[in-house]
Amino acid sequence: MTTMTAQTTQVYQLFIKATPERVWDAITKSEFTTRYFFASRIEMTDGRRRAYGPNGELWGDSAILEEDPPRRLVHEWQGLYDPDLAAETTSRVTWEIEPQDGGITKLTLIHDHLEGAPKTAESVAGGWMLVLSGLKTLLETGQPLAG
Amino acid sequence: MTDDRVFKALADPTRRFLLDRLYERDGRTLSELESELEMTRFGVMKHLRLLEDAGLVVTRRSGREKLHYLNPVPIRLIHDRWIDKYRERYVSALADLKNELEETA
Repeated sequence: MTTMTAQTTQVYQLFIKATPERVWDAITKSEFTTRYFFASRIEMTDGRRRAYGPNGELWGDSAILEEDPPRRLVHEWQGLYDPDLAAETTSRVTWEIEPQDGGITKLTLIHDHLEGAPKTAESVAGGWMLVLSGLKTLLETGQPLAG
Repeated sequence: MTDDRVFKALADPTRRFLLDRLYERDGRTLSELESELEMTRFGVMKHLRLLEDAGLVVTRRSGREKLHYLNPVPIRLIHDRWIDKYRERYVSALADLKNELEETA
């Protein structure tokens, strides 16, 4: 029997009917993130990416490693919303935004450096799927995913 | 239509086998994947290309190597579009049955 361990490099890719600029805004501005990113308010200031929960609790506070709007964003990742995850080593998230023909944008998310963070790897594997399909729905329909 | 490509890509046992191998462990090279199949390198490449065209496999370069990653998003979108809604109907049919039976009891 093989036991499934979450991958230490996770790759997610999807196509969204929206411009790269709109995709960039949706991943970097809190007026969008509150509508699809587990209701979190994401703020990017002073080289940090901070995420706040609905009651202002700090869910994430990580260094931004690269910021090249509207094409590429790289930041560290550490889940502060759960003490088990906060105790693990820092991982890394890369967002790549590439325009395609016909007003479509290809979004690739790579979550890597998860070798020292098995619980985080497990936790984000389902999480990114929800976040990304919610992001696609929000940008294409103007409505958040029902839920 | 993306859905067509995903369904077509999934409609082959070799390609499903490749997806299962990547599900177990991601980031494999062509040589690694090829070693698990009784098939020519060219044949495996062809299958991987179809999976890539359907968005089910994403390749990334790492130095001189090309690594293959399973991209779970298209299957999720198919699930949301084609499976979830039928499951909901099934669940609500059971709920209706329960209500009806309890009312007449």
